[in-house]
Amino acid sequence: MRIGSLQLQDFRNLAEVSMEPSPRLTVLLGANGQGKTNLLEAVYLLTTLRPLRATRLAELVRFGQPRAAVGATVRRGTIERRLSVEVVPGQRTAQLDGKPIDRLDDYLDGLAAVCFSPDDLQLVKGGPDGRRRFLDRAAFNRWPAVLNESREYVRALRERNAALRAGGGEVERSFRGPLIRAGARLLRRRRDIVGELGPRLTAAFTEISGPGAPSPRLLYRPSGGLSLAGAEEELAGRLAELLEARLHRDLDRGYSTAGPHMDDLLLGIGERAARTYGSQGQQRAFALALRIAEVENLRAVQQEAPLLLLDDVSSELDPEKNGYLLDYVGALPAQAFLTSTDRRLIEPLAGPETRFFGVAGGVISTLDS
Amino acid sequence: MVADPIARLVRELARLPGIGEKTAQRLAFHVLEAGPEQARELAEAVVAVVRDVRCCSSCQTLTERDPCPICTDPGRDPKIICVVEGVPDLLAVERTREFRGRYHVLHGALSPLDGVGPSDLKIKELLLRLERSPTEEVLVATNPNVEGEATALYLQRLLKPLGIRVTRIAQGVPMGGDLEYADQATLARAVAGRREL
Ligand SMILES: Nc1ncnc2c1ncn2[C@@H]1O[C@H](COP(=O)(O)OP(=O)(O)OP(=O)(O)O)[C@@H](O)[C@H]1O
Ligand SMILES: [Mg+2]
Ligand SMILES: [Zn+2]
Repeated sequence: MRIGSLQLQDFRNLAEVSMEPSPRLTVLLGANGQGKTNLLEAVYLLTTLRPLRATRLAELVRFGQPRAAVGATVRRGTIERRLSVEVVPGQRTAQLDGKPIDRLDDYLDGLAAVCFSPDDLQLVKGGPDGRRRFLDRAAFNRWPAVLNESREYVRALRERNAALRAGGGEVERSFRGPLIRAGARLLRRRRDIVGELGPRLTAAFTEISGPGAPSPRLLYRPSGGLSLAGAEEELAGRLAELLEARLHRDLDRGYSTAGPHMDDLLLGIGERAARTYGSQGQQRAFALALRIAEVENLRAVQQEAPLLLLDDVSSELDPEKNGYLLDYVGALPAQAFLTSTDRRLIEPLAGPETRFFGVAGGVISTLDS
Repeated sequence: MVADPIARLVRELARLPGIGEKTAQRLAFHVLEAGPEQARELAEAVVAVVRDVRCCSSCQTLTERDPCPICTDPGRDPKIICVVEGVPDLLAVERTREFRGRYHVLHGALSPLDGVGPSDLKIKELLLRLERSPTEEVLVATNPNVEGEATALYLQRLLKPLGIRVTRIAQGVPMGGDLEYADQATLARAVAGRREL
């Protein structure tokens, strides 16, 4: 996919933007707090229908304005279509070729975006929720149906928790049905994506760290000791048993104490946990390799690289890893948006098709290349 | 300052769902400008709808005649009842022409989050109906979303001990969807291809 032209209206501090990004690398330059990340956030929302940061949608609307909008012409193969998303507080609506969409799959078909950001280190150092989000987004980039599936799971979970707090009974039991069905689907998706990412993580990590480095490991650890083996119906059967066995505890606590929303993804380097035993450098290499693994996996299965968004990566990585990442992006036949405060860091990467834009006070303007 | 009668109308209109203060004001001024004739028509229509439309005492659909035309149609099989969440869903199933039994409208779906429990739905009325008239099959056509699925499971556990066959519309309708908006061919297939719950 290629974004041909891009328009924004009242998206965070960007009041009015109309730009033609490069088919390859678009560089956004500007001082802190000017709106660079906001532009990436808009592109991410447009291509995934999800917010980039764990924010409330209402925050995306420019202060004092009723709505935010992002639109672009996007070419997939030989077909050019117009995508747009509008956000009003509490709601987002997507349009395809100017018409509201009935099926998210039609809109998302062939779209995928992966964002590299300084926060990626939190995948290794932070809590399990960030890692679950990483997995679910990787699964969603791979299988767009995951968007609806994970929404269903969250909905069923909230309903069941409310039923638990109301004392359980037949109503609680009835909501276990959809919870188990959606939960088993989510578990299978996560298991499958972990399986696909594993070998690619090893390859990327080894390339970043050099030969002789210990190998990285990904291990999905379900809550309640659930086994992940077998078909989706078997997962559902075991999840049902687990919920039954924990019913009293769940009633006591007023929420579901096991299920995909409580699971973790263990990251290991050699035999040890990357979080506790990895060096700073190894942790950064791990986080970077996770993102690259996702990109490489999408390249392999979709015969096309996803859209790459690189937010201020140079600020977090040491010069060596930064150089590695920029080389990687430069060599990839992909469209990429990159933000930086320092043009000199990016200059070596610039090719004939690179376009530079300046971002200042929410205004974006073309710079000489 | 707005005159009191205007403020009163605006306040009443703003109580309707989906209508904010601004829209209510616009509507109120529109009513004023349209003149007394239109205003009377509107007022009478509003009064008539609550006076003349009621729930069918048998199937709970909204009707002017009680029992409703479907419940009194001798050409329809009384031994099979299709349970739907709302009247628009009943109309959607009717449009498929696949179903020749009768209906029961729940007026909602279970949702602990929104404080909707079994006693807020027309479930008691359904049980009463089943007690009074012999029924072989209950086809549960609640929406294919979390609340609809849970409501279907709830009914299944409630009705199975009564020796009634409980079926569910097939999964042709996309999950997370709404019966009302499902396209007709898909819904027709889903009704035809129902399965045992
Ligand atoms: N809803 C909003 N309406 C208006 N302005 C907003 C809104 N949300 C965020 N901002 C402003 O956007 C600016 C931050 O923009 P952004 O995060 O894109 O900066 P940046 O250019 O990426 O900076 P850095 O280099 O520090 O990462 C802040 O000044 C913030 O006040
Ligand atoms: Mg930024
Ligand atoms: Zn009736």
